[in-house]
Amino acid sequence: MNSFISRLKPRGREGSLGIILLVTVGITGLINPRFLTGDGTRDLFTSTAVVALLAIGMAPIIIMRHIDLSVASTVGLTAWFIADISAKNPDFTWVQCFIIGPLIGMIVGVLNGLLVAGLRLPSLVVTLGTLYIVRGAVYVISNSVDYNAQEMPPSLLDLGQKVFFGVMPFTFLLVIFAMLITAWFMKYRKAGRDCYAIGSNPHAADLVGLKVFRRTFLAFVFSGAMAGLAGVFYLMRFAQVDSTAFYGQELAVVAAAVIGGVTIAGGSGTTIGATIGALLVQTIQGGLAAIGVDAFWKSAINGLLLIVAIYADRTLARKSERTLLAQRIKERA
Amino acid sequence: MKFKLRFTWDTSILILLVVVWILASLTTDNFLSSINVSQIFSNTSEITIMAFGVIFLIITGEIDLSVASVLALSSSMLGWSYAHGAPIWLAIIIAMVVGSLCGFINGFLVTKVGLGSLAVTIGTLALYRGIANGILGTNTINEFPEFWTGFGFDTIGTSFIPQSLPIIVIFGIGFALLLHNTPFGRRTLAIGQSPEAARFAGINVVKHKIIVFTFTGFMAGVAGVIYTFRFSTAQADNGVGLELLVISACLLGGVSIFGGIGTMWGVIAGVLLAGSVESWLTLREINAQWRTIVTGILLLTSVAAPVLINKAKAAKIRAGNRS
Amino acid sequence: MAQQGDLLLQMKGVQKRFGGAIALSGTDLSIRAGEIHALLGENGAGKSTMLKILAGVHVNDGGTISMAGRSFQTGSPQASIEQGIAVIYQEPSLFLDLTLAENVFIGRQPMKGAAIDWTLVQNEAARLFDELGVPLDPKRLARGLSIADQQVVEIAKALSMNANIILMDEPTAALSASEVERLMTVMQSLKAANKAVIFVSHRLDEVFMISDFITVMRDGATVSENSVEQTDMQKVIKEMVGRELTELFPKTEHDIGDVVLEVKDITNPAYFRNISFKVRKGEIVALAGLVGSGRSEVARAIFGIDKYDSGSVEVNGELLQKGSPIVSMERKIALVPEDRRQQGLFMIAGVDRNIAMESFDRLKGKIFLNFKKERTLTETWRDKLSIKFESASDPVDSLSGGNQQKTVLAKWLATNPDILIVDEPTRGIDVGTKAEVHKLIDAAAGEGKAVLMISSELPEVLGMADRIIVMREGHQVAELSRKDATQEKVIAAATTGSKGA
Repeated sequence: MNSFISRLKPRGREGSLGIILLVTVGITGLINPRFLTGDGTRDLFTSTAVVALLAIGMAPIIIMRHIDLSVASTVGLTAWFIADISAKNPDFTWVQCFIIGPLIGMIVGVLNGLLVAGLRLPSLVVTLGTLYIVRGAVYVISNSVDYNAQEMPPSLLDLGQKVFFGVMPFTFLLVIFAMLITAWFMKYRKAGRDCYAIGSNPHAADLVGLKVFRRTFLAFVFSGAMAGLAGVFYLMRFAQVDSTAFYGQELAVVAAAVIGGVTIAGGSGTTIGATIGALLVQTIQGGLAAIGVDAFWKSAINGLLLIVAIYADRTLARKSERTLLAQRIKERA
Repeated sequence: MKFKLRFTWDTSILILLVVVWILASLTTDNFLSSINVSQIFSNTSEITIMAFGVIFLIITGEIDLSVASVLALSSSMLGWSYAHGAPIWLAIIIAMVVGSLCGFINGFLVTKVGLGSLAVTIGTLALYRGIANGILGTNTINEFPEFWTGFGFDTIGTSFIPQSLPIIVIFGIGFALLLHNTPFGRRTLAIGQSPEAARFAGINVVKHKIIVFTFTGFMAGVAGVIYTFRFSTAQADNGVGLELLVISACLLGGVSIFGGIGTMWGVIAGVLLAGSVESWLTLREINAQWRTIVTGILLLTSVAAPVLINKAKAAKIRAGNRS
Repeated sequence: MAQQGDLLLQMKGVQKRFGGAIALSGTDLSIRAGEIHALLGENGAGKSTMLKILAGVHVNDGGTISMAGRSFQTGSPQASIEQGIAVIYQEPSLFLDLTLAENVFIGRQPMKGAAIDWTLVQNEAARLFDELGVPLDPKRLARGLSIADQQVVEIAKALSMNANIILMDEPTAALSASEVERLMTVMQSLKAANKAVIFVSHRLDEVFMISDFITVMRDGATVSENSVEQTDMQKVIKEMVGRELTELFPKTEHDIGDVVLEVKDITNPAYFRNISFKVRKGEIVALAGLVGSGRSEVARAIFGIDKYDSGSVEVNGELLQKGSPIVSMERKIALVPEDRRQQGLFMIAGVDRNIAMESFDRLKGKIFLNFKKERTLTETWRDKLSIKFESASDPVDSLSGGNQQKTVLAKWLATNPDILIVDEPTRGIDVGTKAEVHKLIDAAAGEGKAVLMISSELPEVLGMADRIIVMREGHQVAELSRKDATQEKVIAAATTGSKGA
């Protein structure tokens, strides 16, 4: 176990991101000591869980040079559907929710995957289309019916309240679990490595004979499944749902992953980074709230963070490129 | 084959538009009534105005997801500066300058700093909307001079033409000429077709793209002004989510997401198609929410169909010229 | 394990068509274990097509291919890999975000239980690099690696797949002398391990130094297959060209006037150093040398696509601002770039749009383009250069290579430049069109333009140029006048840097 963790130990970018996260947490704690208490930490985890889970699902897709904008709609769809089913079946428990949620999400994922991988259409447009279709489906099916806590399975809501070690909510524990599994998969399975190769050089991936269709397709199915699970998380956190649930949050997910070092140009990044990215965004938000910055600025700060992140990424890449070129010139001369 | 069919997506979308109109007027009582037509035009005015800029951007191979946020920011600035005592004309100018500035910042980050436009404008989407939020909070400003709010809402005299339509038509003609009849438009297309060849053709790609980003921002600023007056409201969440509708309209109109291909009439037809379908559904008293699904399906069709059509067409011409 | 001399691969009468164009009309090739086999031929002779068929990228339309005596139908890269065929392309396509070790083993990483055995991946890669005698760190990322090192990674990959036949497409084209030397050592070690190496090259001296067999191709067919002892450079060149030089080049004598373009000591340390030359009115100056010797980079620097660190360029005695194609165009310079598909043309745009691209000033009124003038322009140049197309709005992508090249020329000639720079003007176009292009270039000089021509084809250089400047590895190594120049002198200067025999 020890060696497993040490091998997964975040290196390079994830390492520095982790340090930035800790420093941010520290500073925020200095300003507002409540932030460092058990309650503060638990709140951070609770409020990050949904986005973090989605970012984990999104990471392999961005690594493959694609994007999935449909996730927020899928969250809305599954959240509403599960609430609807459990309202009509009072003996529904959390177990069924955890099975049905990802299954619904996977349907959207299969659709995305077929269009992107099968017809080789640009994922930006395809998932923009499914963003509409899925959200529209929620509107139509829901018929403006909302659900509240009393219509949801008590076992699910209880689970949402469950906290381990005083700070770790059940949902975030699952996030960590998903993060570690996917991180291991992306590092130690051929399918995971193929994702990096495909994103790094799609043309060469074809030449080498990698299974581009299958990998791309499955990545979208996986993202869909994670979005479905995130829909369940959404219910656990908010205990209410209407047809506009999680509306427009897809770009926040992309931002979390990119801030976490998943390069939008493909080929690099990890799910650990994506998770840290989601936490970092949430911490900075919390920190700024603590020093009295109006909550209205929240979105502006998100945007700025994203731009700073891609700028830093770009600058580092350029610097190393320049060093290598200089080295080559020297060798040649 | 004697009869040579020039079957491109932007012509087929026109046909589709006519088909929708015929079907809609057959199945509803007053689809082509002056009030309804007027409604279609004025409901789509912001999207159309923004699409005029965004089409250039997509053609150069870039994208701008921040336009709806720019709309909100310029709307907020319009309201804020008017509420703080600026004369209305100055407030309008401020709104447009802010819009242009937002566009310029996008362009600067993409071309000079070298960041991807998708990532940058996802960032500025949040940033600009956030600044609007920071300025206005939950306040709404809806005390505007009647002359101007009427402009967003009323029709010209007793006709059914909404007052904002002439502006759209003027911009539409202007941008259509710019895209299709000037060196600037040709260079825009060229950059999207091959950025490297554009460099060898002596096009200053960086400068060109900054200009396009800037006027995309300007158009979003104009859309912000129209939106503010049409709803008589300046608030931070004006036009949430419109960016995706604008991009859909462009792609529906046959603009290639890979850049280099696009026509202005295609985009106008794309906007009108989306607006007409929505209006049709409303008149048929079909749950208005269906329109979201229809938009999505149209969007997917618009991206899949040209791929297939172009493949067939290219194969045919190639066979002709090589033999 | 194959024994030395075992027949590994035999191709008989292999054919391939692309649409209406015939790329291979009947190619034979036999490859034995433990031999280095050079594939020679002019540009467009079909070498690349042949490699791509073996690589499984294209499927042959006719003829037979057999591997170790068994018939083999190509069709997918995977199938070729399974047959033990590995291809190293001119521009290796590595995964830049992955480590070198992983690039070697991508898709075939050794497993330990359910997980990839990273230690083994790294050790094996290190062992392969060692075997090839190249000190590369298997843990570093491929990003920033030189072409030469990338090729080594590709060769290591081939070895790790137990490939018996290693195909290399112009492996030395972009390499420096020391890198070429290293590659040759690697090739020798492959030969010693009883692998067969097939390589395409234009550097004849290298070919004769290292190969055991030489196959010459021309116009899509095999002309000869000889052991290196049975042939010599003269014979090979003759077989490659297959025609007398004199009948091909329409060069006429023109009055040569004042200096129009003067390049003074320009240096860009990454590509070229201390380049100086003059081109006069009515003169054709050729920039000869091997691919990768820095010729195209000099042209790009003059036109302003790239910058140079020191030195200057003067047009008609006045300094030319560097780094600005727009200014260069104002000073009446035109550059027909080497890669017409990527640099010269907008492939999905119509022929008319492409030809009009540089002539907007003359095509527009105050603001708007005059479509009638544009049509006239297209028609004028279509007739002048006899460009063949069905409709002016057809995308140039649908034209043949020769007509595409004429379209690029038309685009630039329409600007009526004083200085015409043409980079590989006849690459990949058929013989007939080639002659037409030569005539056009000669006519341009006849009209008093100063012409700078870059070409890898010796006959073209010798047939067209008034003066020849030879570059080698970024240095200017020789300048030959038309009457002094011979193939031998140019080759000698380009490959060894000596100033001629």
